[in-house]
Amino acid sequence: MELFSNLALGFGVALTPMNLMLCLIGALVGTLVGVLPGIGTIATVAMLLPITFGLPPVGALIMLAGIYYGAQYGGSTTSILVNIPGEATSVVTTLDGFQMAKQGRAGPALAIAAIGSFFAGCVATVLIAVLGAPLTKLALAFGPAEYFSLMVLGLIFAVVLAKGSVLKAIAMIVLGLLLSMVGSDIETGASRMAFNIPELADGLGFATVAMGVFGFAEIIRNLDAGAEMDRDLVQQKITGLMPTRKDLIDSYPAILRGTVLGSILGILPGGGAVIASFAAYTLEKKIAKDPSRFGRGAIEGVAAPESANNAAAQTSFIPLLTLGIPPNAVMALMVGAMTIHGIVPGPQVMQKQPELVWGMIASMWIGNLMLIIINLPLVGIWVRLLRVPYRLMFPSIVIFCAIGIYSINNAPVDVILAGAFGLVGYWLIKHDFEPAPLLLGMVLGPLMEENLRRALLISRGDWTVFLTRPLSATLIAVAAGLLVLAILPSLRAKRDEVFVESES
Amino acid sequence: MTDTPGHAPVKSIMPKWVRGPQDFVGGVALMAIALFALWASSDLQGMHGFSFGAGTAPRMFSVLLLGLGAAIALVGVFSEGAHLQTYHWRGPLFVSLAILSFALTIRPLGLVISAMASFLISALGTPETKWTETIIVGVCLTMGCSLLFPYALGLPLQLFPRFLIP
Repeated sequence: MELFSNLALGFGVALTPMNLMLCLIGALVGTLVGVLPGIGTIATVAMLLPITFGLPPVGALIMLAGIYYGAQYGGSTTSILVNIPGEATSVVTTLDGFQMAKQGRAGPALAIAAIGSFFAGCVATVLIAVLGAPLTKLALAFGPAEYFSLMVLGLIFAVVLAKGSVLKAIAMIVLGLLLSMVGSDIETGASRMAFNIPELADGLGFATVAMGVFGFAEIIRNLDAGAEMDRDLVQQKITGLMPTRKDLIDSYPAILRGTVLGSILGILPGGGAVIASFAAYTLEKKIAKDPSRFGRGAIEGVAAPESANNAAAQTSFIPLLTLGIPPNAVMALMVGAMTIHGIVPGPQVMQKQPELVWGMIASMWIGNLMLIIINLPLVGIWVRLLRVPYRLMFPSIVIFCAIGIYSINNAPVDVILAGAFGLVGYWLIKHDFEPAPLLLGMVLGPLMEENLRRALLISRGDWTVFLTRPLSATLIAVAAGLLVLAILPSLRAKRDEVFVESES
Repeated sequence: MTDTPGHAPVKSIMPKWVRGPQDFVGGVALMAIALFALWASSDLQGMHGFSFGAGTAPRMFSVLLLGLGAAIALVGVFSEGAHLQTYHWRGPLFVSLAILSFALTIRPLGLVISAMASFLISALGTPETKWTETIIVGVCLTMGCSLLFPYALGLPLQLFPRFLIP
């Protein structure tokens, strides 16, 4: 079986002491940063990106994957213990998780989050291994027109799933596309909108913009609210870490459902972890015999979204590894990291560097296992970390981000640019624009332009090529359908309801 | 998390016909960005035949953004929406200053001085800073960073001012 030989190859790579170490460090550091309230997954990955530069490509990607899961898990810890979601994916976890913590059941809540995540991670790893190869073959049938249409579909997905106004989300994507145009033109090499600033000749660094609009902007926004944020930290000692038999029986169907839902939503471009956790929570509430328990410490309300977001986080690697298209902002950062190491993600990587792809897939599973092993005993430390007041934490984060950006290119201008984008991000937040679609647009911009150009060149300037090739036409049709659905009032109301409900 | 629109300044500086100032200003700003991008890419070559020039895609996206910005602004005119949120100056100012100071001093003065200085400047961003603990934490953090980045991670960062190094 090809599948087993691939997985064996992967585990062979991932189980070397060096890579195990990197995976462990990544997961630990990721959790450490992810636990800090106000720093989401994207900011964490962006911040920690530079520490992987000195590593060989496989090691660097393994460590980044570790950081990613660590950050996700760290986010859930914060939600359960302090009612502050470290990131968007764990917003729903706060609803029941924090209630459980208040009832003195923080231990089981944390444990079930870890167990659910681990189970979801196992399933998703197998799914990636199974789907990876066939999807790569499919990817080879893709021409420029199909790629372009697929990216349009991905962006539309991101719009539909973003919260708030559809119009504003599209505007953010287009702004991102526009920002990605800065720098040299791929074909002619002409300098575009760079104003003869040498640092802009290569374009705006993705990590720079990400750190600005997510890192710095978040800090500034948090300062608005007063540094002493209202922190309902659960003070009592966390005892009884392990869930009871009843907890396990209650939560295992929820974990199963969350995993399935998350895996599916993760594969879809633009979907990803956020919507998966919302959807899983809503589903649990819908099918529960007694929905009123939700929001009052129902263990299913922790188990389902946590499993779903982890499954989605993992399966979102599928479009990245097979098609080279990042489905969300975190994956976009991964692309950035890969490019820095000279790897162009896409179907070729799967064939030319199988040890890299399968090594990473195997290390995802190992990373999940490590999270469960290291985090349960370390909960006490994370709690102590949460007691560090924000007035001391935010200057430290500023310095860390600044050093991080500087070390990417050793360019002071990058730091200034990130600062500027921090202010832009602050403005965007104040006007209710979401920065995540902007980031996605920025990453997909060059890819989209290239494929659009190529498609039109091949079709000799005929724009109908996107509609006459069957695969491309299907993708465009799905995108158009989604957009119509998103604008239709009935669905909009429902969609808003989901978000409102989970935020209140 | 976000300020409720109701608490925003009651007396709006916006003219009466703008019902959703937040959307209106946001849309207009996007239009300004789009116009700026159109101007900035005006010197680039456009379509020749059926192949794209360097300027085609930027102009295409600019026009798209211009339209979207206009649509958002119109939404702000015709439908009831949120007020402008209040901006605070202290956090943004000092955090930006700290970032700027880091960028300007990291090359000539090295990591130690630059990190410490930025730490203290950004600490000004909130009135709640207590200086003794801030300085202690700042010193520890600077030491930690000086060990972590150049030594543990092997990044080529200079630690001390250039003129002190023979």
